[in-house]
Amino acid sequence: MKRTVPLMLALVGGVIMIIQYFIPHQVSQDVFDYYTSWAPVVSGFALILGVGSITRLHYHKLRAREKNWPFSIAVLVPIYLMPIFAFFVPASLGGGSEFPGFFDFMYTRVQVPIQATMFSMLAFYIASAAFRAFRAKSLLATVLLLAAVIVMLGQVPVGDLLGRWLPDTGQWILRYPNLAAKRAIELGVGFGMLATCLKIIFGVERGWLGGAGR
Amino acid sequence: MSGMNANTWEKMLNIDRRWIFLMIGVVVIVPFFIRMGLPVVPTDEVRSVYSLIDTLEADDAVFVGWDFDPGTEAENQPMGIAVLRHAFSRHVPVFVTAVSPLGQGLAGQGLASVFDTRTPGNFALVRWADWEPFRAAGHAGRDSLEAAWEAAGNALPEGALGWVFEGVDFAHLGYQPLFSLVILGMGSSIAAQYPTDVSGNPVPEMPMLHAHKNLRDVDLAVTLAGSSACMWCVIYGNAKVGLPVAFGVTAVMATDYFPYIQSGQIVGMMGGLRGAAEYEVLETEGGYTQATGNAYRGMDVQSLAHIVIILLVILGNIAFFAGGFHRKTALKARR
Repeated sequence: MKRTVPLMLALVGGVIMIIQYFIPHQVSQDVFDYYTSWAPVVSGFALILGVGSITRLHYHKLRAREKNWPFSIAVLVPIYLMPIFAFFVPASLGGGSEFPGFFDFMYTRVQVPIQATMFSMLAFYIASAAFRAFRAKSLLATVLLLAAVIVMLGQVPVGDLLGRWLPDTGQWILRYPNLAAKRAIELGVGFGMLATCLKIIFGVERGWLGGAGR
Repeated sequence: MSGMNANTWEKMLNIDRRWIFLMIGVVVIVPFFIRMGLPVVPTDEVRSVYSLIDTLEADDAVFVGWDFDPGTEAENQPMGIAVLRHAFSRHVPVFVTAVSPLGQGLAGQGLASVFDTRTPGNFALVRWADWEPFRAAGHAGRDSLEAAWEAAGNALPEGALGWVFEGVDFAHLGYQPLFSLVILGMGSSIAAQYPTDVSGNPVPEMPMLHAHKNLRDVDLAVTLAGSSACMWCVIYGNAKVGLPVAFGVTAVMATDYFPYIQSGQIVGMMGGLRGAAEYEVLETEGGYTQATGNAYRGMDVQSLAHIVIILLVILGNIAFFAGGFHRKTALKARR
């Protein structure tokens, strides 16, 4: 039962959605609208599961005083505090309020700078990694190195100053060799996804059941 | 090669990475104080996006998706601001959406920067509630509304380029979960997916929704993304209802999406800060702005940073081969 019901739901739901996509009729659209009204509800339960799971994990870390346990406080406090501020303090995410609340402050002054900083640090690590690892050790590595240098210079205005051929060559690399390689990869991935989806819908692939009914 | 020389090369290869960090730090900061103003030549990929928006009129509509998080704000935000500026200059209605809650906040910040009339060259925002009496009087058309608004004694702030009426010129629809389904749903009705905007205003009552009920009535979707979320517009918008799509993606992602330009699934693409800078240059050339913006300024920084990285790669290779390390199996590392 634990295995058959989810498999049947996946089969029926998957087949209906595949057929619906190709039928341009109001009934088909109504089926879709009905389905889309369900989907956020289902994902809401997934959110509850996720928050519950992360709370349990960090609660155990705190209780056992595991290594780096103070970081668990940094996870748990915002998870519960931010929704409280969002619901009970006038929030202005998106400019809805004339007087930004604490939620807005935490978003613009904490969350945004933290994320931006994390991503910005990549520039420093990439420079260090390029110095240490980018070697012309073989013919293929040399081709990769030259292509990278041309594209990098072609992407910035200083490339135009060095000669118009540089950005033109960079664009040529992006538009032709890069495009051909990417298309081959994309097609491979696309067929792989199609095969995996069909295997899940028809119950051949059952890893997503998480061992239920075993 | 003497032992002393090899030692020198080895020292160079094992340079403390903090020196490299310092170099990058310096070249990132200095150009903000010393402007170089290096020329930016627009590519065909950006020019095609600009040209399409440049043909749109007040009876057309554009979707701009703030489909990124703060991590890629430096690259994506200038693109959004440039597209908003262009659309508002031409009175093309703009729907603003987001695939994540963080993107909604960034969209709000992007709109706020375009509506900041303390800086010349921006637009004066008229909120939905502010023009309620004019709506009640039957002024829903843009021209009659603007005329009535100004006749009522409202003067355009000094330096502002024009009025932007919420609900007529733009609607900030914001974030909805499961955005792939939202796009599919908007194929039949935008208002059904967004009954209210981020401020709680009723979307179905907005005049721009009367003329643009679903994605079939929209002339372009510009998705600004730092992830593969941009593909949803292609898969569910372009393939399903023929929605023209343009990308504004980070530089590292841009290489992934050239096949979609060639296949005609997207009309063009702004790739990274460079793409945003190219759009700003086109806007300045087209007379929509007096000066280029943050992206163009950032290209000086990027130019120097790229040069430093390339020099580091060249130096690393010189040291590697001159020191004879290519003949050894491993370099004594102290990194």
